[in-house]
Amino acid sequence: MDLSLNLQNTQAITRRHFFGQTGLGFGSIALNHLLTSNGYAAKEKGFRIPAKAKSIIYLHMAGSPSQIDLFENKPALTKFHGKDCPKEYLEGKRFAFIKGTPKMMGPVFDYKQRGESGQWVSELMPGLSSVIDDVCVIRSMHTEQFNHSPAQLLLQTGNSLLGYPSMGSWVTYGLGSSNENLPGFVVLASGGKTPSAGKSLWGSGFLPTLYQGVQCRTDGGDPILYLSDPKGLSRKARRKTLDAIKDLNEYQHKHVGDPETLTRISQYELAFRMQMSVPEVMDLKKEPDHVLKMYGAKPGHVSESESAADPRQLYKGNDPTFANNCLLARRLVENGVRFVQLYDWGWDHHGSSLGESIDETLPIKCQQIDRAIAGLITDLKQRGLFEETLIVWGGEFGRTPMMQNNVRNELKKGFYGRDHHPHAFTMWMAGAGIKPGAYGETDDIGYYIAENPVGIRDLQSTILHQIGLDPHRFSFAYQGLNQRLIGPTEEGKVVHDILV
Amino acid sequence: MRLFIVPLGIILFGTTETGAAEEIQFNRDVRPILSANCFSCHGPDKKARKAKLRLDTRDGALFDLGGYKALESGKADDSELILRIESDDPDEIMPPPDSGHELTAKDKKTLRQWINNGGDYEIHWSLKKPIKTSLPNTKKKDWPRHPLDHFILNKLEAKGMDPSQDLDRHRWIRRVSLDLTGLPPTIEEADAFAVDKSKEAHKKVVDRLLASNGYGEHWARMWLDLARFADTKGYEKDRHRDVWRYRDWVINALNQDMPFDQFTIEQLAGDLLPEPTSDQMLATAFHRNTMENDEGGTDNEEFRVAAVKDRVDTTIQVWMGLTMGCAKCHSHKYDPISIEDYYSFYAVFNQTEDADRVTPVMPFPTAEQSAELKELEIKVSSLNQRLEVKPDDFTDALAKWKKQLAKEPLWKPLKLLKMKSKKNVTLKQAKNGSLSVDKENPDRDTWVLSLEVPEGKPLTAIRIDSFPKKKGGKWKDKNVALRELTAEWIEEGKNPVSLSFTNPRADFSQRGWEVAKAIDRKTNAGWAFSPKAAQPHAAVFDLAKPISGGRLRLTLEQEYGQGLLFEEFRLSASTYPTKWLSPEIDPMRNLDQLFEEVEYPQTRELHAQLKTAKDKVNQLKNSFSKTPVMRELPTNRHRDNRLHNRGNFLDQGKKVSPAVLELFGKLPDGTKADRLGVARWLMEEDNPLTARVMVNRIWARLFGKGLIETEEDFGSQGLMPSHPQLLDWLAVDYRENGWSLKKLLKTIVLSRTYRQNSSISPDSLAADPTNQLLGRGPRFRLSAEVVRDQSLVSSDLLTRKIGGPSVMPPQPPGVWKSTYSGEKWKNATGPDRYRRALYTYLKRTSPHPAMITFDAGSGEVCQIRRIRTNTPLQALITLNDESYLEASGALANLMQKSSNELAQQITFGFRRVLTRPPNPEELKRLTDLYHQLKPEFSDQTAFLSSAKLEKGDPAMIALASVLLNLDETLMKP
Repeated sequence: MDLSLNLQNTQAITRRHFFGQTGLGFGSIALNHLLTSNGYAAKEKGFRIPAKAKSIIYLHMAGSPSQIDLFENKPALTKFHGKDCPKEYLEGKRFAFIKGTPKMMGPVFDYKQRGESGQWVSELMPGLSSVIDDVCVIRSMHTEQFNHSPAQLLLQTGNSLLGYPSMGSWVTYGLGSSNENLPGFVVLASGGKTPSAGKSLWGSGFLPTLYQGVQCRTDGGDPILYLSDPKGLSRKARRKTLDAIKDLNEYQHKHVGDPETLTRISQYELAFRMQMSVPEVMDLKKEPDHVLKMYGAKPGHVSESESAADPRQLYKGNDPTFANNCLLARRLVENGVRFVQLYDWGWDHHGSSLGESIDETLPIKCQQIDRAIAGLITDLKQRGLFEETLIVWGGEFGRTPMMQNNVRNELKKGFYGRDHHPHAFTMWMAGAGIKPGAYGETDDIGYYIAENPVGIRDLQSTILHQIGLDPHRFSFAYQGLNQRLIGPTEEGKVVHDILV
Repeated sequence: MRLFIVPLGIILFGTTETGAAEEIQFNRDVRPILSANCFSCHGPDKKARKAKLRLDTRDGALFDLGGYKALESGKADDSELILRIESDDPDEIMPPPDSGHELTAKDKKTLRQWINNGGDYEIHWSLKKPIKTSLPNTKKKDWPRHPLDHFILNKLEAKGMDPSQDLDRHRWIRRVSLDLTGLPPTIEEADAFAVDKSKEAHKKVVDRLLASNGYGEHWARMWLDLARFADTKGYEKDRHRDVWRYRDWVINALNQDMPFDQFTIEQLAGDLLPEPTSDQMLATAFHRNTMENDEGGTDNEEFRVAAVKDRVDTTIQVWMGLTMGCAKCHSHKYDPISIEDYYSFYAVFNQTEDADRVTPVMPFPTAEQSAELKELEIKVSSLNQRLEVKPDDFTDALAKWKKQLAKEPLWKPLKLLKMKSKKNVTLKQAKNGSLSVDKENPDRDTWVLSLEVPEGKPLTAIRIDSFPKKKGGKWKDKNVALRELTAEWIEEGKNPVSLSFTNPRADFSQRGWEVAKAIDRKTNAGWAFSPKAAQPHAAVFDLAKPISGGRLRLTLEQEYGQGLLFEEFRLSASTYPTKWLSPEIDPMRNLDQLFEEVEYPQTRELHAQLKTAKDKVNQLKNSFSKTPVMRELPTNRHRDNRLHNRGNFLDQGKKVSPAVLELFGKLPDGTKADRLGVARWLMEEDNPLTARVMVNRIWARLFGKGLIETEEDFGSQGLMPSHPQLLDWLAVDYRENGWSLKKLLKTIVLSRTYRQNSSISPDSLAADPTNQLLGRGPRFRLSAEVVRDQSLVSSDLLTRKIGGPSVMPPQPPGVWKSTYSGEKWKNATGPDRYRRALYTYLKRTSPHPAMITFDAGSGEVCQIRRIRTNTPLQALITLNDESYLEASGALANLMQKSSNELAQQITFGFRRVLTRPPNPEELKRLTDLYHQLKPEFSDQTAFLSSAKLEKGDPAMIALASVLLNLDETLMKP
């Protein structure tokens, strides 16, 4: 019987999460007993499989970039450019904003075949083009949701409603962290806003809150909330207070005998160590110039768009915030963090107001991320980390091959836009056991998938598989179901075709 | 209740509470194995069933599979089930190796023995109605204080264990105060109790705590977790929702000890009660706490359906401890709830008006607001009464005034001398002075009219009368839009002087087109009168400076378009005092009233007061919080209810009618299948779950986990209760005591079981590591809210105010960055900074970090229990969060004021936090700490300002912070 939602397990797991797999063996608590006699540990051998990846870096472009303008070179669509969209693409479809009959809109930017594989990549991504032979581009992604918040939730938590654990929580729940001084699941955000579904995207849902993502902030404040000692309290004074807490807690333990007290002592000590280790790992100044250049990173830079009410109109191509986060991601996985999730906001290019167009905003957003991504891949390869790090890039859905027409029905500079498109979009994966190349095809105008569809469940299955978790068996008993990231049905399949 | 008949010959569950005799019991021993390993393919879900075999019923297990059966009663060796589970052929063995399920040797032995014993089934324990059994015998006769202690002691004795010693009084009063009110006791309360030798000492403390306001505030938190209460709507925009009055309702209901059946009925169906009171309507906000999606381009129906499903799931979770979630998409694999059952129950909830929008809402004044309103209304009515009786000379004075008015008309039409029009419109003036356009109006125009100003008595005001337009014509819209009216005065031989108007008033103005906008020097709006365009209207504008002689030049800007120009109108002027001039259509009507209101001194004064009072009433009414409520659709708009195939609302299947889950009893007589029926059905005596679920929940809050640990699952996938007879005894007792939560709590906290010391000896840890047998007191971490509230009480910062809107205690900057939401977190200053955590603003997509780190929820979905964690991030909060530093600062100041002696200062602070005095070792360690810290603050002011103090002793503040961070502080004693 699966008893994983049970307090003693949680406590045991708590310890293990922060102390690594072996535990510290303090006190006389029956840690081994707890780990082997109950559900969690009993199931463990069932869901662990050989892993290709030690860590995951997930680059989520919140708002969803246009695959038509970045990866989908469609001459047929260009031919129809400016013509009314045929009825068969509209009837019975739900759109977020498109009304009536919109006009078709061909790719706005030029395409070239890149690398030895000759993949089509837009001129907006010269950096990615330079490393395209390391990447597997999946052109046949599809989802069930066409609004940001539910689509992001479905992608990251396996359910379009709120309240489910995020992918990073699942992974750290299954594997723990391999650095006892850092959290196992770290979130970095850029673009000036949190993604639509907010912090729920890195929430732990029904898993213990221990597994929720820890947002590390790069906007000038504490890298982790409450990390800094109060002003005027020296490190030495802090140590003295912690020594007293430790002594008094040990005294308490001697008299009361609760193993939980020992855990608390350890957690206070860990907090003290994190106060040193987190700023250290977050300090980009430690990186040599050539590495900073590779990413386009600028240590300590705080972009004005990070605190603007509407950051979109302040976007600049040379904004280093995302680049800084990519470099941080490398430093974090290098230090054993299991799951690093980057969210970059500002990819929702409807073209209905300023700062959200395909023709003007998309190139800026691409500049912000392109060099950084190429830098990340190159850097990981140079350090021998590429083969043990899984990189995933993409939005929560795609964008329509038609222009968005709810505000105007003709193209206007600075207002080229596309609506949400769940039926076909592009993502790419790289690193740990991913076979470079192209996978999946869409039809001539990029509306529907023509071959090898990959659903959200498939993507999730593949990610879990690469990190060493059997997506079908990896579950948590809650609400009468063995809850899984990939949902209750068996539709999710590992996409073996893209694996080495 | 016919469905609950227990088949004869079945060993009744729990007849041997001791657990010593190890005979096989189906519910305790067999069902969990079958449920975890077999039911997903051989259970209630017809669609998922393999090989047409079901093992969740005896009939199913005895089904002839073609000459053999899964279960041959009494003959394990002939039973296919045993052959399969004991097989080592990978094609034969059950469960299949790739299913992820695996039976242990012990499981196999149990199943074998069960079949050899006859292979009997029994109805799942939680489907049986609870009954009070007689109290089990115990060897220790003097230990039990209360019936419930017999159940606990009996089990302990069966395992050869002893209960723990009683807790000392200081620790007990801290435990019970934290449990009942979420606040620690004061030193005075603790000392008074410590020396109270009366038999009633404990009871007195409990009664005092239950009667305090803090009780309702503390227990409301438990309920609000279930109600998924939050201050925002959720999803992308996650905008504010005004629903705090519902929290007030919960606090009040608990403080008044509202019986749980009433508490249930009002929340689920208050709107369906006959003539519901305002409070009963407010209660229905319970199910309006579901999320709403304001994201652009979403399908409202999709999120309305999601909200209704959430209500179904929440109702069943909260009251019956069952999960219906799976039956949304397919019939339940483990419990006998089919997809038809789900959507029939869903149909009950699917008839409310709300549709992913804030409406319907109702205004709910607070008690203070109601009192203020009542006072104002009394004032209004007393003023009205006083105005009814007129002084003796009133009539004479009125007659005199009217005579004066009769000397000259109130309004005299102004004579049009000449005009200019951009579109060449000309106006004809009739004898009565009215002006009309000569032909069809253009779509827009501006008129400049030159009017004669008579010599003599100066003009004080201008009046415009607009007469209804003729039917037909080019322009369908018969409204007028006077976007701007300006005036100049031209005296012979002088430059024109611009005139200003004051006190604009009209008999009627269109919303957004109030008459004042006609003289605001802006043309974006003006005076218009839709939807009353078919009636005559009048507007009056006072002249800031009266004029006499010369010409008046009025400019009427009517450039809105669509022909919204005057067609027939009149411009007049008056020479009388402006206060006598009203925009009545007939200016001579209501003269008596006018005199009374503005002229006659005594009544004028009363009317002024009346107006002030009425304005205040309106202002007050507008300030009432408008809270979302449940409202049933009228029958003719009832929705069609169908199955949603695979849970997809766009893929609707066969039609269903509203119904309750009959497995748990029929609808009570005289009710129908609506929310009210469901509420009564939940509270029926026959319902086997409601009382058990609730007492288990309360037990869990007090002891750290429930008698059945899986509070959220009383179905076959949940755990078995550790003390089933006790659970039932408490459930029945709760119902028999009129569903009184206070009585239930009192029962438990006055028991000997609750009074036990929570120290853990190595022996007792080895014998019962999780304290399942309750041979020691509960020791577990305080909730997020209590951790905060305790620091505020210890430091005497707490603002003791009940209810009201949510507040924003300090939060680090930059935490709120929601997409497209301009709402900002603003750190409160003053009393709102120190409210109980219950009142902290909860934004679903960005809860306060100190709250979620201590395992509080986000209010997105119903949270049955919080899983406690122990993490370094928690340490960082209590060490470094501004709120805790402020509390440390205030506590340190109290310590220093308490005495001149360091030892006494430390003792005082220690006791404010932990109630008990420190031991000599503890006192010494803290004293040493103080001396060690003393030289560590070279820059005193920096640390003082971290604690929001101007002066103080940094070493003492750091010491106070240590007190707030001790393990014992964070734990229930």
